[in-house]
Amino acid sequence: MIQDWLTTYLPLILVLSSVIPGLIIFSLKESQVGLRTTLNLVGVFTQLVLVGYMLLAVTQGTTFLFSLPFLPAGDLILQADALSLQFISLSSVLWLATTVYAIGYLEGTALRSRFFGYFSLCVSATVGLALSGNLLTFLVFYELLTLATFPLVVHSGTPAALRAGRIYLAYTLGGGAIAMVGVALLHSVSGSPQFVPGGYLSGFLTDHSASLTVAFVLLIVGFGVKAALLPLHGWLPQAMVAPAPVSALLHAVAVVKAGAFGIIRVVYDVFGIEASDQLHLTQGLLWLAAATILYGSIKALKQQEIKKRLAYSTVSQVSYITLGVALLGPIAAIGALVHLVHQGLMKITLFFCAGNFAETLNVHRVNEMNGLGQRMPFTMAAFTIGALGMIGVPPIAGFISKWYLGLGALEVGQDWVVWVFVGSGLLNAAYFLPLVYRGWFAKPPNSWPDNARFSGGTAGWKETHWMLLISTLFTAALALISGIFAGTGWSPLAWAQFIVSQEFSL
Amino acid sequence: MNFALLSMTLPLMTALVLLFIHRRAGSVVIIASLMSLAAALAALYQVHLFGVQQMHLGGWQAPLGIRFQLTPVNSLLLVFTALVHSLVALYANYSRHSITNTTDFWPLALLLHSSLAALWLSADLFNWYVTLELLGLAAVAMVALSGPKAYRPALHYLLLSLAASLSYLLGVALIYGRYGFLDIALLADVTQADATTQAALILMTLGVMLKAAIWPLHLWLPSAHANAPTAVSALLSAVVVKGPFYILWLLWTEVAPVELAQTTGFFLAIAGIAALIWGGWCAIRTPYLKVLVAYSTVAQLGYATLALGLLLYWQQTQLLVALWLFVIAHGLAKVSMFLVAGEMQATLGSKRVTALKGATQTMPVAMFAFSVAGGSIIGLPPSGGFVAKWTLLQLTLASPIHWPWAVGILIGTLASAIYVFRVIVISFNRADPLAPDFSPDRFSHWLAMLPALMAWLMAVVSVQLIQFLGGLP
Repeated sequence: MIQDWLTTYLPLILVLSSVIPGLIIFSLKESQVGLRTTLNLVGVFTQLVLVGYMLLAVTQGTTFLFSLPFLPAGDLILQADALSLQFISLSSVLWLATTVYAIGYLEGTALRSRFFGYFSLCVSATVGLALSGNLLTFLVFYELLTLATFPLVVHSGTPAALRAGRIYLAYTLGGGAIAMVGVALLHSVSGSPQFVPGGYLSGFLTDHSASLTVAFVLLIVGFGVKAALLPLHGWLPQAMVAPAPVSALLHAVAVVKAGAFGIIRVVYDVFGIEASDQLHLTQGLLWLAAATILYGSIKALKQQEIKKRLAYSTVSQVSYITLGVALLGPIAAIGALVHLVHQGLMKITLFFCAGNFAETLNVHRVNEMNGLGQRMPFTMAAFTIGALGMIGVPPIAGFISKWYLGLGALEVGQDWVVWVFVGSGLLNAAYFLPLVYRGWFAKPPNSWPDNARFSGGTAGWKETHWMLLISTLFTAALALISGIFAGTGWSPLAWAQFIVSQEFSL
Repeated sequence: MNFALLSMTLPLMTALVLLFIHRRAGSVVIIASLMSLAAALAALYQVHLFGVQQMHLGGWQAPLGIRFQLTPVNSLLLVFTALVHSLVALYANYSRHSITNTTDFWPLALLLHSSLAALWLSADLFNWYVTLELLGLAAVAMVALSGPKAYRPALHYLLLSLAASLSYLLGVALIYGRYGFLDIALLADVTQADATTQAALILMTLGVMLKAAIWPLHLWLPSAHANAPTAVSALLSAVVVKGPFYILWLLWTEVAPVELAQTTGFFLAIAGIAALIWGGWCAIRTPYLKVLVAYSTVAQLGYATLALGLLLYWQQTQLLVALWLFVIAHGLAKVSMFLVAGEMQATLGSKRVTALKGATQTMPVAMFAFSVAGGSIIGLPPSGGFVAKWTLLQLTLASPIHWPWAVGILIGTLASAIYVFRVIVISFNRADPLAPDFSPDRFSHWLAMLPALMAWLMAVVSVQLIQFLGGLP
């Protein structure tokens, strides 16, 4: 009885677990810090517990499905399959880290109720995106995500932030409108049934191949905007003006991953591997992803601002996921799915570190990083883990994903892709290692600035605000652990293998 | 049917009563509107149970008598009209910034309500002429309520409205001369595509297009709607322009011969696209908030015109669902936007969009209402505007030769996104320190939120709505 109830309503409750605190937070006064923090944390932990329960239940074969009638042949469906749990686990764990970080980061600043309200809604949209059971539902949450993140991007209200906000909207709403036409086009062919491993379009290949091809292109363009695929990536470096926790969330889970996740869903669960192959849809995507990887790395090399460099690094790294999907092989798919998690862990760590540097010592640029390791050893250590992981140094998480992606490319006979990885790995090293080197080995300035918000501390546990430090260390540890323990049954890798065994019916 | 008549006559009766009683007119109107809403809901339920209903006034059969009919579409419109009137009456009575809290507004609002309801229920060409005249005169008088600055737009509106009525009346006369009766059900069986009928249809169409502000005959709308008092702007944009639109729809789907309808449909669809682009462009350019909202009405009517045009061009009756969903979703969102715009204008003392700097801090509820309404105007899922657009897109995308129309819809969507977010982005600017006399009217802000939320709640009952309007096979 209660079991039935849970399998129906749990997906909905999961979405509401952040909507409700968010809506209450909107109504709070600025001074109600305690209540706001409690609400935030209650929301986070409720979600974590529920996700944990779901993970356990799904491995035992339970299916969660909630559906509401919405449009003819297109219900609103929330469901929990292995793929959605991969994404949702990542987002709820990182939401915890980011919430703690943001509470510390925004201490004493204005408009925090508005910020945390939208912050919760942004997480709800991400959770909804992950749980979406068909393309129509995905579209709904994809647009809601744009709406929820926009106030966060322009939070500071400066002319630069508003400009970035306009650019962000131009890209994401444009992409959303194109995605909508794509979804509507597919709907007119086949309706919007539930996502199914192997896709549901194989029956329409002969009669509607033109419509399907156009729909695929529209969907990839629409989702590619958020995934920052090459000509559509322009908003991402601009969105850097957002507060550090927002950038961290945007780059690690919420926005760019929403795009990548959309591409995964479209290729695997809407068109399916076979249909994509027959329509020759993915070759172009493969080239585009490879180009984006190299382009992002080269642009990152040229940036002197730390956050900008990280932003272009995201452009490059997220396309690893797209590339792995476009390769259409099971091993590459494992690489892509596991990179979804690993990139999130590493990138959020790097952005937390950048935020720590900026708020503690006013360090914003690469050449200001000299000797940071002496003043902020823990943050610098976390930064090093993230950077080395991005380069692909074992045993950090990034190595695992790149290894599988490389093997996957060889498996499907696209050997040239391996050279893209090598080139990108070298470029990654070229733009990350100097930072690590400066941080540990260059000579520190004579005195550190003391006019930043958290500059009062000393090296060690008190090097910055404690909330900033623990969330940074937490995510860095996760990046390290998911690399070291990749071989065990509960790692992101094991879960990715579980998903792929379903998608490819191995 | 009796409930529908009640919904129509209640406001009229109350208007007559108000000629004698001036005290507490606002409360009386609110009660009358709410009662009319209840009656309209009952009528809607009757249609749900028993289907289409007819009534012959005084027992006289057509062509001698006057026939009223109650269909799914007009029962829904009846509810919609009463709902909008109730909301606006609440606003006009309780907002501190409402300048319409005078005795003049109330009887006019009731007359407007009643003539609209009569328009929905009527089913013959001459009755429509009468209701159009009543509607036009009441609307002009209400625009003029804002004082001398609105006299010019009101006069323009009056002259154009009279010209439009004459053109329509001429068409009606031609039809009467040719066929000898004016009931649309009777006409439907006999009309032929001869020169007289064509001329009559063109004259009537021009008349109603002018009144419904369909591109390119929309030029009077922005100044009239932007200069009217807030409550009046909301009524005019949300419901009044939809009246002539209803006539246009029935004229071409019922009265006109199919071959004529198809040609006209093509041109209407083109006009719809043009309205989307032109209205959108003007809304993007204008420096004034209420003018922006008014141009948004021109653009949004473009969607409805496009749906009507394609309905006729392809002879796809399912498109009537898209058509009326657009009308209702737009109406709800537009009430909210005009109330917010008027409130902000009054609170900030400036008509400009740029005055909204920092509005998310100083007037968060109002700004949120505007954004929610704007979301439905853009057609973001899951809102009423989205459901309407989706229904339209489904038929447009069904076969590749129709895809160019979808491009038009896409452009319209992007234009609306630009003008809505143009306002929202400015409001996220940090606020300047508040003036000491800054006193927003919180109640009105929450009131404006209501119709915006309703526009989104349409998505919750979208399946029922689509079924009710008769779109499902």
